[in-house]
Amino acid sequence: MKLSWMFGSSMEARHLLYVYLSVWFIQGGYLAWTAWHWTHTPKGSRAEDPLDSANRKNY
Amino acid sequence: MKLSRIFGPVGIVWFLLTLGVIAYATKLGLILAPVDALQGNVFRIIFYHVPHSMLSLLFPYINLAASLCYLYWRQRDPLKALTADAWAISSAEVTVLYASICLWTGMLWGRVEWGLWWTWDARLTSMLLLWLLYVSYLMLRKLSATGQTHTLAAVLSVFAAIDVPIVYMSIKWWRTQHPAPIFFSGDPDAKMDPSMLPAFLWNIVGWAMWGIFLLCFRYALERRRQAREQDAALQAIEASLELAQ
Amino acid sequence: MSYFGHVLCHLRKDLQLEWRSRDSINGMLFFSLLVVVVFSIAFDPTAAISRQIAGGILWVALLFASITALNQAWTRELRNRVLDAQRMSPAPPSAMFLGKALANFLFVVVVELVMALPFFFFYNLHALGQGWLMLVIMPLGTWALVCNGTFFAALGLRTRNRELMLPLILFPISIPALLGMMQATTAVLTGEYEPGLWIRLLVAYNIAFTTVCLLLFETILNAE
Repeated sequence: MKLSWMFGSSMEARHLLYVYLSVWFIQGGYLAWTAWHWTHTPKGSRAEDPLDSANRKNY
Repeated sequence: MKLSRIFGPVGIVWFLLTLGVIAYATKLGLILAPVDALQGNVFRIIFYHVPHSMLSLLFPYINLAASLCYLYWRQRDPLKALTADAWAISSAEVTVLYASICLWTGMLWGRVEWGLWWTWDARLTSMLLLWLLYVSYLMLRKLSATGQTHTLAAVLSVFAAIDVPIVYMSIKWWRTQHPAPIFFSGDPDAKMDPSMLPAFLWNIVGWAMWGIFLLCFRYALERRRQAREQDAALQAIEASLELAQ
Repeated sequence: MSYFGHVLCHLRKDLQLEWRSRDSINGMLFFSLLVVVVFSIAFDPTAAISRQIAGGILWVALLFASITALNQAWTRELRNRVLDAQRMSPAPPSAMFLGKALANFLFVVVVELVMALPFFFFYNLHALGQGWLMLVIMPLGTWALVCNGTFFAALGLRTRNRELMLPLILFPISIPALLGMMQATTAVLTGEYEPGLWIRLLVAYNIAFTTVCLLLFETILNAE
């Protein structure tokens, strides 16, 4: 990994890297979780638009 | 035009745009020349930390608005109330997400800058309490009996919203009386060098767009779950009707 | 019957039931004593330090003691479906809440009075500030805990893990009040600073949250 632009202590460099990586990891993780559930939740027959009265079955 | 139809393509475009903005903002943040050679590069952490902090203070308001709408529509228009509830849970989760990142990146920053993982300064403590309040909201959601969840959570959200300003003031007074090391002295914008502003602003825009995307995506997922529940409930009713016949 | 008539009715009912069984008060008393002993072993303070930390320890002990009482505050309403009967009655639900909160308040005050002596002995305390202010701080702090605690205990009535739910929700919301009561108590004990600010915070907190609890109780009672 090109860290040639880093000067100063390597602890700084490490922590900076941790910050950026962990933010991507956490945000990406939440996105992945939501996406996984999205693909694994079947669309109900009303899912198209629950507010649409045409979807309501009249008895 | 049904809203759900345009959700899809707009969502994908927004997502790609957001990734682009974040990538550009990250690049700006990393290649900007340091203001002071003595400061080193660790200050670049603020380009991720501060936008997340600011945004984590925004989503709770969405949660409050959605909860109030839910309580208002609960008896009057149940379908609209469900929509409000979906917004409420989405904004709560995104709040916890952004607050967690704010706390974690803040701790890493403090570790390098001060050698401390944590200090009970006014800002950090208030942020921790915000995080605790919304985590307790999510726990209530998870553990409460079905049927009651939405209402109880909405009520808790109102309590949390009233608590937030009280928390903020009380912690500020506490730290005025008993000072502790301050991680970010003063307002970061106040002493921000103009050369840092572009990176800072691009990061705020990027992460705000990302937050809105996550909010809407989570909302769509919640609506799917609600629709599936409604289907299941309807099937149960139809089954019982058939038996009666 | 007037509103306060309803409140007094509920209050009398709770006090009578508690007097006959005496389970929460006994439990609370013993629990708080144990907490005080454990903290003394944990910290082993000298006279100077003990004044700094006694305020915090006192309120932590009371907090945990209140939780044990609040957890079963509403369970007696579940037996024999009394709660459903209350819901169907035309009496204002917030009167029931207020009556129960006042009853719990009285129980915790009794525990405080009993606990005050051992506390002062174990920590060798005497107040360096204005000691009489404790008579203001204790009720204010207790009401802050009990009011929200009674509300959240009702909120968590039909949740899974009911006993766990109450502290999970109560603690974050109560932190400003806890800060206020602990700081005010420490101020009185050490005499190092003025407790006025914290007492005002407690008053504001109590007014705000009592109002919200009274307004929203009916909503959570009929949450289904």
